[in-house]
Amino acid sequence: MVVGDVTTAVDVLVLGAGPGGYVAAIRAAQLGRHVTLIDYGLPGGTCLHQGCIPLKALLSASERYQQTRSEELTSMGIYVEAVSFDWASMQAWKQGVVDRLAEGVRRLIAGNRVEYVHGTGWFINAQEVRVEGEHGSLRFKFEHCIIATGADAAPLSGLSFDGKQILTPEQALMITEIPEALSIIGDDYIALELATLFARLGVKVKLLSPGEQLLSGVDSSALRLVHAGLRKLGIQVSTGVALDSIAERPVVISQGVCPRTFDLHLDAVGLEVIANGGIKVNSMQQSSVSHIFAIGDCTGGRALASIAMKQAKVAAEVLSGQRVQFAPLVMPLIVHTTPELATVGYTAEEAAKAGYNIVTGRFPLAANGRALTLGNDNGVALLVANADDGTLLGATLVGPRAGDLIEQAALAIEMGATLTDLSEILYAHPGLSETILETAEGALGRAVHMLAKG
Amino acid sequence: MQEFKLPDLGEGMQEAEVVEWLVKPGDTLKLDQTMLRVETDKAVVEIPSPVAGRVAEIRVQDGQVAKVGEVLIVFEESTTSANGGSSTPSQSITHTAAAIQSASIPTSDPGSQTPATKQRVLAAPAVRKLAFELGIDLEKVTPSHSNGRVSIEDVRSYVERDRASSLLPASSPALVEEKEGEQPVSQAPSAMIHKIEHSITPVQDERQPLKGLRKRIAEHMERSWRTIPHATAFDEVDGGALATLRETLKPLAEKRDVRLTYIPLLIKLLIPVLKEFPIFNASLDEESREIIYKHSYHIGVATASPEGLLVPVLRNADHLTLMEITSNLEYLIEGAKKRTLSLPELSGSTFTLNNVGSFGGSTGTPIINYPEVAILAVGRLQDKAVVQQGTVVVRPIMPLALSFDHRLIDGAMAGAFLARFKGFVENPQQLMLDMV
Repeated sequence: MVVGDVTTAVDVLVLGAGPGGYVAAIRAAQLGRHVTLIDYGLPGGTCLHQGCIPLKALLSASERYQQTRSEELTSMGIYVEAVSFDWASMQAWKQGVVDRLAEGVRRLIAGNRVEYVHGTGWFINAQEVRVEGEHGSLRFKFEHCIIATGADAAPLSGLSFDGKQILTPEQALMITEIPEALSIIGDDYIALELATLFARLGVKVKLLSPGEQLLSGVDSSALRLVHAGLRKLGIQVSTGVALDSIAERPVVISQGVCPRTFDLHLDAVGLEVIANGGIKVNSMQQSSVSHIFAIGDCTGGRALASIAMKQAKVAAEVLSGQRVQFAPLVMPLIVHTTPELATVGYTAEEAAKAGYNIVTGRFPLAANGRALTLGNDNGVALLVANADDGTLLGATLVGPRAGDLIEQAALAIEMGATLTDLSEILYAHPGLSETILETAEGALGRAVHMLAKG
Repeated sequence: MQEFKLPDLGEGMQEAEVVEWLVKPGDTLKLDQTMLRVETDKAVVEIPSPVAGRVAEIRVQDGQVAKVGEVLIVFEESTTSANGGSSTPSQSITHTAAAIQSASIPTSDPGSQTPATKQRVLAAPAVRKLAFELGIDLEKVTPSHSNGRVSIEDVRSYVERDRASSLLPASSPALVEEKEGEQPVSQAPSAMIHKIEHSITPVQDERQPLKGLRKRIAEHMERSWRTIPHATAFDEVDGGALATLRETLKPLAEKRDVRLTYIPLLIKLLIPVLKEFPIFNASLDEESREIIYKHSYHIGVATASPEGLLVPVLRNADHLTLMEITSNLEYLIEGAKKRTLSLPELSGSTFTLNNVGSFGGSTGTPIINYPEVAILAVGRLQDKAVVQQGTVVVRPIMPLALSFDHRLIDGAMAGAFLARFKGFVENPQQLMLDMV
């Protein structure tokens, strides 16, 4: 209890400056609101500082390194005498990328006249938040609040994170010494990407999946290519592993996340939470107290920055009087393995199970000119469409730049495009996008660059 | 799958308005069960189901106009729909299974999950956004294109049509409406509506779509008023002789179970005047710029029905006896009130008589029943003080108002017409002179 503290009245208070929080703050400011953004760290959150961005930066660096050692280079007539890497320099380069992006976010926040307050906030009641930070304790009374506090790595029972032998994925990206061997527990995209990263750098990686399948929900033929890629990197994959039997150290635990809501004093507000501790919201991101919103990982939904950023805009717009909702039909997902995997919408199996009469198309990258000219033709494109009207229901892409191509399929699904729509438009040649054309035409029974079966 | 198209309802009708569906998708119908009421020019027609089966889809919604040959409804026939028909090959564009969202995006709120059987409406993200903003359920919006995609325009025109029903508050998520008093003043219009509704009793103007008979009356009146330069001539007629005549004939008619009113008498008196002044029983062909003199005398009689003005037509009135006119008229007026008349009984009049007295009020200026060229309104017969040969006497007076198309008829002709009619009313026995 702080005696005689002064309450500052603010308009919109955003708790957490990750990809959800800072986007919400900027959008609310664009709509004329006065925004105060609270975070104990730098703007950008886990995604920018510890998660997605550092991981993708290191994946790129490790991929470059690994490519120099591949046989493909020799076949292209390139002979590499000696290649080595320095983990500290690689980390420094990664940090440079992060710093540059963080500075960009900081400028955007300042340029939109969002007030940034360093500290940790929690609720006193449904109108007030206390913030403990470097400037002492502050008390804010808000008109609207957006909770965007994110999530923490979920622990495994009996194993507590120590940052050395038992690591969160974020901690694994910050280790100072590259270990000789590393075990990774998990079957999600983070586990696969971490395994790929360290294996490329010569670490003996064991990927231990508690489930029977990696990346559940992904088409099995696409998954086979990913498995082959992991094997090629020397990653030892075990599925159906009993968690209590894992004795390997160091070990990274990638078992999803827990919403970071425990220290918000939600009971002081009476906010409803769901089973995993996430804040219960409606499609307009309103919590059970309608002037308090929650977005992103802290709502207990799927922990993806793309979701947080869209929900951020929805929350900011709703509290500014607009009637909008978070209602995308599909969610693109990318896995930066070798080969890269990207999915959106239904797989054939899911669509059939959901009752659709389906038609599918499949096109191997080996028949695509651009893939061959890239020297990277390991991959496939799969499309699933509704047989009744031809509308696209899902896509799975494996191969180079799959993550950049997948948005074409996402747009097509959201627009209600049909296989015919996809086959009517032009695709620059030679291009990887042509695989989508060929797959659509294949589903229509007339792919040109592939012989029909039978 | 069987489609049912709007049939030709006769009289060269090209379109009809769907007044009301008596069935909804999913209903199982018997053969010949009444499923739909449509309205052609002025008649409401009930359409029975052509098959026994389940309704798969209704293509033309209440209040919309369908062209002859347009698909109104799609059936799954009973032989194939025993188990809900999911295995039936469907020609419809809508999905029969889950929206993608329910499988791909786990929502944090289990209550907001889309049911697995929900169909996807083909609509681009911007259209879905607009629909949500306006509180519209996209499934209720009929696509204007045959490809089944709902466009921004479709959503907007749906809103125009349905503004009356309070869609906005009804479909907003439950949480929005709590704690309304705390919304800041800088809210956009949609949120302001919420606020008002909660802080005080709603005082919104009610908007109703112009549809059905009202819409047709409006269109008809508009057309008449826009096209025809109206002029109205007034006069008053001594109804003493007419009243006496009616009093004499009434008991005789009653013996034949017919109730004699003034209108049949007035129609009988009108016919010789129309024959004498053929321009009043004519119409103008605007395209060829020709006057069409009609040689049949179909007299329209303006009638109030619960849903609005109808003009049933007494066909070939010049060939009918007074008794026939009286009983036919009784049938027509009764039918108009019950909306059971067929199209020929409601169209094709050549001159219209409007008994404004029966609607209350003493007289009025009638609007010509396009494409006719004149309409006669007769007012209420009332005792008035009039001067006759220098003395004030009490006489039953009936006001007359004759609206005429000033393109074809001059004021002098209208005056002459009224004078001639007046002569007949004041001396109804003149009819004897030309009686066959």
